[in-house]
Amino acid sequence: MSSSGTITSPPPAGAPMAEAPMQRQKRGRGGLIAVVAIVVIIIIVLGAGYGLGWFKSSTTKSTPSACTLPSAITLKGEGSTLVAPLMDQWATSYWTGSAITYDSAGSSAGIQAVSTKVVDFGASDAPLTSAQRTAAPGIVMVPESAGGVVPIYNVANLKAALNFNGTVLAQIFDGTITNWNNTALQTLNPGVVLPVQTILPIYRSGGSGTTFIFTSFLSLDNHYWNTTYNKNTTWPSGLPGTAESGNGGVATAVATTPWAIGYVDLNYAQGTSGIGIGSVENPSGKFIHATVADTASALATISSASGFSLPAAGASWYNVSFLNSPGATDYPITSLTYLLVYQNLSAAYPAYALNNAENLVDFLHWVITTGQTWSALLYYVPLPAFIVNDDNATVNSMTFNGAAIPVCVPTGGAS
Amino acid sequence: MSQRRVARWPDQVFFVIVILVAFLVIALAFAIVAILLYNSQQSFRVFGWAFLWSTTWDPNKQIYGALPFVVGTLLTSTIALLIALPLSLGSAIFITTVAPRWLRAPLGTAIELLAAIPSVIYGFWGIWVVHVYMDTTVDPALQKYLGWTGAFSGTYTGFGVLTASIILAVMIVPTISAISRDTLAAVPAAQKEAALSLGATNWEMTRVAMIPYSRLGIVGGIILGLGRAIGETMAVLMVIGSSDRLPTSLLGNGSTISTLIASELLSNNGPLQISAILECGLVLLLISLSVNVVARLLVWRITKSAGGAVA
Repeated sequence: MSSSGTITSPPPAGAPMAEAPMQRQKRGRGGLIAVVAIVVIIIIVLGAGYGLGWFKSSTTKSTPSACTLPSAITLKGEGSTLVAPLMDQWATSYWTGSAITYDSAGSSAGIQAVSTKVVDFGASDAPLTSAQRTAAPGIVMVPESAGGVVPIYNVANLKAALNFNGTVLAQIFDGTITNWNNTALQTLNPGVVLPVQTILPIYRSGGSGTTFIFTSFLSLDNHYWNTTYNKNTTWPSGLPGTAESGNGGVATAVATTPWAIGYVDLNYAQGTSGIGIGSVENPSGKFIHATVADTASALATISSASGFSLPAAGASWYNVSFLNSPGATDYPITSLTYLLVYQNLSAAYPAYALNNAENLVDFLHWVITTGQTWSALLYYVPLPAFIVNDDNATVNSMTFNGAAIPVCVPTGGAS
Repeated sequence: MSQRRVARWPDQVFFVIVILVAFLVIALAFAIVAILLYNSQQSFRVFGWAFLWSTTWDPNKQIYGALPFVVGTLLTSTIALLIALPLSLGSAIFITTVAPRWLRAPLGTAIELLAAIPSVIYGFWGIWVVHVYMDTTVDPALQKYLGWTGAFSGTYTGFGVLTASIILAVMIVPTISAISRDTLAAVPAAQKEAALSLGATNWEMTRVAMIPYSRLGIVGGIILGLGRAIGETMAVLMVIGSSDRLPTSLLGNGSTISTLIASELLSNNGPLQISAILECGLVLLLISLSVNVVARLLVWRITKSAGGAVA
């Protein structure tokens, strides 16, 4: 606090009070009693909570790998809130030799952190732009999982999932559609009694990969959105609505605000009570209520198209898109989420020893293989084999002092 | 004699260390200002003085203006002060004059403990409790009965300028209350007794004998509270709605300079945005500084004029 200087304001010069010391002492004793009482209350509550099992951990440790690395270090990561629940699971399940600390500050913060080399890896749901690639050369992108972004809403007494399409979502979020009772929305939801209430859009503050995925989808489906606002990690300025930070912030705000609508990753939508999850129309005219299977089938459909290939290590991923997959059961707002690491580790981090590089590469290999077994449980899509193969090529291209980095764990494809 | 020589050199070392530390603190403050000035150059070159009164903040189009955030900062802290002042003064007067002796210390400590609650907890309470209550009860009532003033128009979500101000008010009450209480408690008993012996009621005694005597401390407390309100970030960020436009209504969304910095510094929209955000930081620093300067001038004038009248 900048103005703490003014606290020293003694009473104006005058007679020192004879009464003061006694009073002060009394006050001190009473204050002590209050503090002790509050501390005792807190201890009792915590004790009762422990007895009721509030603090029991529900995660299980995986058995340590047979291969042992020279010595354990702490790997620091920062970025996407979309992938944070999965990352937290990985951090507790990765073998105990190395600790993973992950700060879920948002995708843009993750890109910033890895660009300035204050972390060992970044995580982003938005691929690097060409400007970002120029600003921090040498970063490779390793897709770590795929997720679906879903519209969530707080409409009282609505049991069935509401149907949306890209155009209606764009018009809701740009302020063209302002009431739940709108005819376009009613047309998509025949037979549903929609309330006459103002729609309250809630979006992400700051730079967000989830915003990037969502605005990319709106740009594909709605010409007006595409030409006026386009896709971006920062929500367009001047649109109506309330901003909250992080996937969790948006989910909480929607859950506590009647008539609100927002967009979050499927994991956050499933984990929040009191909200509805919307179905979204895909290019074949079906309304899909997102599941892991629908998201996985979107990846499969697009990757099986002729001429499809993934970028080589170090190339741009900006134009890789799994949105609006044409299959009948494909969820349309599907996207990869990425880990960002430097290809030449000794050049990027002068303080690195070979041990650091080995640990980082080991973690990457673990994430794209063993780590994938947790994905579906947390509503993320396990990486399909064609992405694991691409990831392996990328991770194997990483170097330390000009040499390839020894790999400890098996590098086969995930189930 | 030898004793004195032994005692001398630690004194000198101590002296040097203290001087170094003191200057380090001052140097740090100057370094912060210098960094802010240096890094906001780019934004200043592009937008000039118009930065201060431009109302557009659009990272995707690389147009930046600070007015929405300056207004948000001043608006939230002023409303917070208006709400907090009667609460803190009232509680301070209650504790020093009306409350029974055994209740004074526990009550005072309880109010002070409000200051120990981390601001993110206030934000959490803001989202889960205050925001819901505002949305369902307060906002509709304000709109219904005071909508004609124009200050409570538009759609409401329970988030926004007013909700942020209320959270801020609760956060600054302990600061103002504690300092007011200490200065009110320091009023000499003789002065209070004099008022009572002239037939003053409790209220008249407080008004005539106590408040004028402790004006200085109360003003100091208010300024400290204002300082906290201006700079507070986390709790405000969680409930203010983070709009990047001028607030059109107290029920609508807004942003303060601190919440802007917290939410957008890592947005990665290029160097111009970083520069504009740091220029906003500079503006925040200037606002804080001027609040402090005004406070000191005020305190100085009150001491001067009150010197003869009261003591």
